[in-house]
Amino acid sequence: MTLSVRACVVNGRQARYRQDGAGEHLLYLHGIGGDFLWLPFHRALAQEFTVTLPVHPGFGESQDDESAAGMEDLVFHYVDLIDALGLGRVHLIGASFGGWIAAELAVRYPDRIRTLALIDAVGLDVPGAPVAELFLSDPKSLATLLFHDPAHPFARLLAEADPADPSQVSETLRHFKVLSTLARVGWNPYLHNPKLSRLLSRITAPTLILWGEEDRLVPLPHAEAYRKAISGARIERIPACGHLPPVERPLETVSRLLAFYSVEKSSRAF
Amino acid sequence: MKFFVFHLMPYPYLPGDFAERYGSAWISIPNALYDPKRGHELYNRYLDELEMAEPLGFDGVCVNEHHQNAYGNMPSPNLMAAALARRTSRVKIAVVGNALPLYNPPIRVAEEYAMLDVISGGRLIAGMVIGGGPEYYSYGINPTEARERFAEALELIVKAWTTPGPFPFYGKHYQLRYVNPWPRPLQTPHPPIWIPGVGSLETMELVARNRWAYMGIPYFHIRVFERNFEFFRECAERFGYTADSDQLGWLTPIYVAETDRQAREEFEPHFWYFVKNLLRGLRITPPGYTSLRSLSKILASSGDFLEEVKTWEEVEAGAYAIVGSPATVRDQILHYGKKLGAGNLLGLFQIGSLPGDLTEKNMTLFAREVLPALRRELGP
Repeated sequence: MTLSVRACVVNGRQARYRQDGAGEHLLYLHGIGGDFLWLPFHRALAQEFTVTLPVHPGFGESQDDESAAGMEDLVFHYVDLIDALGLGRVHLIGASFGGWIAAELAVRYPDRIRTLALIDAVGLDVPGAPVAELFLSDPKSLATLLFHDPAHPFARLLAEADPADPSQVSETLRHFKVLSTLARVGWNPYLHNPKLSRLLSRITAPTLILWGEEDRLVPLPHAEAYRKAISGARIERIPACGHLPPVERPLETVSRLLAFYSVEKSSRAF
Repeated sequence: MKFFVFHLMPYPYLPGDFAERYGSAWISIPNALYDPKRGHELYNRYLDELEMAEPLGFDGVCVNEHHQNAYGNMPSPNLMAAALARRTSRVKIAVVGNALPLYNPPIRVAEEYAMLDVISGGRLIAGMVIGGGPEYYSYGINPTEARERFAEALELIVKAWTTPGPFPFYGKHYQLRYVNPWPRPLQTPHPPIWIPGVGSLETMELVARNRWAYMGIPYFHIRVFERNFEFFRECAERFGYTADSDQLGWLTPIYVAETDRQAREEFEPHFWYFVKNLLRGLRITPPGYTSLRSLSKILASSGDFLEEVKTWEEVEAGAYAIVGSPATVRDQILHYGKKLGAGNLLGLFQIGSLPGDLTEKNMTLFAREVLPALRRELGP
């Protein structure tokens, strides 16, 4: 089942998003592994929530925004999008690059966040556990960096991509554009904000840190660094899973999230 | 036509299994492979080779800037130009160029170039480059800002040379309350500006618009030069003038020996050292470094890049290097020189692991047996 893409205008620019389900609003900020598409992961969450899945500027169908030169611009973009779509207080999930945006948003607008889930998020510098080189990776090595299971359809798609093949030029250009968007924000300092770890104490929402146990891009010590810095946060590891739990282990990831939400809901009741 | 000797100052002592063991001669190549004792000999030998250009009758010498690699060991070409300014008295000294986005603030380039122009008595050609893709990794400069930074730095430098200081400059990337470089350049309004490129459309348009000079970077099939130079001339027409041949430079490896056969035998192994080792990684294109429009054009000509070439026959067919007896080299330069319409020939007389004695012989034979005929045919 494909879900149609909708458009809204945020600060004069077209932004694309998908939305489905019913109940409290859940906002999912995607990463770099194709999770801006409506996947089984989102479909399962939409059984319990109204799920909104926006596409970052410069990714997929969203208009590129060269003026979105930094994390601050992206944070404003999403606060404005939350208002434009009338989402109110949201359950916020961010994966990978989206996890970094979610963390930056949550430290600046804690009141807008009901709960926070960070999934294999970049954003921190952890001495001794560097984030692997993303920008120099060809599609083949990217498949290994992102996926634990090389047989996953997305991993195979990557592994079979050949930038030198003239018939794949449009894919190569799209890949270049996505990485360019990422580089605009995270080239140097490399995929992190040196100030973020000190700011994380400002987060007030109940927080779950979910991590693929075999993440080769953003190694596990990053989960621990987020947990330490966010008051009351706890970690759950997804076994046999790489950098993209929503893509590689969707149902397990959803069940961990739902368990987290139900605990939070019952504690709210008392 | 003007004739220049271009030197990359490459590192010729990489281990024999380098290509198999290491992915790239850039960014991540371990600097433990660099031997400073041999480096001492190399720098002095390479400078000697450039200095020879003057007594041999060349019009100029060229150096350029590269960082953290084995392809070209001149992180500061201005140091080399300074040494050359003191050891020569007639030839032009072309620094092709300084990688502007790597300087912060780029007023440093305006200052150092002015120093070189004043020291050399007005012999500087001021090259400005965006910097190679790998250098954005090595210097931590955001490649998505490369074009903007380049354009803004260039504007600042030209303004610093042509507007009486002090004046303030507030750009998007560079802000200076006092722009007032001492010294000012000797040439007026400023030294000639040369800009090398691999065929990025934006760069050619920028150069044509300002009536500066465009240097085609080698290692592509000759038809890529032809296409790019044609595009440059079209740009000039669009900006309302006809491009002068002085505005185009053809950079190419050249090797002359007594006979065609001897030339190939002497040259070929050192050339393949260059292709198989030093070129690896040169084409790394960091995200946002180029527009999608230029990237698709670059992808389309990637089959015409020297790294893809496997046989000597392909090298000759694509004129990736001009190699042969004096007569052969003369004829080829006449043929392609006219075809390209370039008024500057920038010869790489040393490439890869070509040793000093062969480099010297190459330059000498070229100067004695080829240059006079070319000057007769092609004029000054």
